[in-house]
Amino acid sequence: MRKATSALAALLLAAAGAALAHHSFAVFFDETRDVTITGTVKSFRFTNPHGVIVLDVAEPQGGAHREWRVETNAPVVLMRRGWTRDSLKSGEQVTVQGWPSRDGKPYMRLRAARDAGGKLIGQAAFSQSDD
Amino acid sequence: MQHALRATLATLLLLLAPATALGQSPPDLSGFWAPDLGAPPSDEELLAELPPDTVIIHDTGVVEFGRGDFGGLQLKPEALAKAEAWKPEDEMTVARVCLAPSIVYSIQGPFPFEIHQTPELIVFRYEYFDQVRLIFMDGRDHPADDAPQSKMGHSVGRWEGDELVIDTTHILPSTITNNGLDHSAEIHMVERYRLSGDGKALSAVQWFEDPAVLDNNGARTIAWTNRPGESVYPYDCDPSFALEYADVGAAQSGN
Repeated sequence: MRKATSALAALLLAAAGAALAHHSFAVFFDETRDVTITGTVKSFRFTNPHGVIVLDVAEPQGGAHREWRVETNAPVVLMRRGWTRDSLKSGEQVTVQGWPSRDGKPYMRLRAARDAGGKLIGQAAFSQSDD
Repeated sequence: MQHALRATLATLLLLLAPATALGQSPPDLSGFWAPDLGAPPSDEELLAELPPDTVIIHDTGVVEFGRGDFGGLQLKPEALAKAEAWKPEDEMTVARVCLAPSIVYSIQGPFPFEIHQTPELIVFRYEYFDQVRLIFMDGRDHPADDAPQSKMGHSVGRWEGDELVIDTTHILPSTITNNGLDHSAEIHMVERYRLSGDGKALSAVQWFEDPAVLDNNGARTIAWTNRPGESVYPYDCDPSFALEYADVGAAQSGN
């Protein structure tokens, strides 16, 4: 087993720097809360590490609109659930359900998406950590 | 009578001897392996081989630790201070969002991988960040301490009976638990893999020590299921994803 002296250890630790990959679900999204919104698709990004649905959402009261971003699992995961880059198109109405971001921004993680007819997009919903 | 006893003993020894000790081929782990996202596996024989002072952390596959949870790993004060100062939003930048993790974290993620096996070299091809890992089975040792490091590290493997044992060093610093705890370049990792009797399941125990960062040692149990005919997809991480988060809330109209 390799051992390092304490001085070397401190040096190595300082040199370790920042080295994270993509972000964690657990620290970004609130798994205890659920949010469901309906809006019009403005764009659909289908690239790793995560896809993003940009939605134009009418506020419940008044004429104001708000833009939401819905982060999806990695497209490599989406593809195994029956999604493709053409699963959503600009101008379509979609209802998304998922977990809101902890920072209160209009940003959420997708659990399930349904089209205007209520049909589930893809073969199954997603869990908190499918990535 | 003595001949009969010797024959019985010889038969017993043959039955108990590891396949590789008898010159038989080791198990063939080749194939596409998808992570098992259910209950963590508990291969008692693999767990029994863990060194002392090791905590099994339960963040494999579908589980992620929240902020400040390191699953029983005991952090040195410097590492703890760094983890406490870590801000998750800092990771959502173009410069950082596509930084691949090291094998220490990649190995357990909820993504599949392929194994391509030859007697001298085994290749692990991970879907996660398109990472490829070479495990040298030709008896070579690790390079000198000052040799280059990489996210995949330098891996040498051997067969112990039906277990594939992989020893890895020279791993570039990266995350251990994806929540602010990074390992040092001194981390040393040992994995033990074993195929199920029917060849359809693969289980592993990942063990690591990093005295520069941790006061104890860590381990994970991981399991995969074989899916014939499938292969990993390209990952091609696109860092412009981070701009989506940066743009949150930018557009709001009154109509």
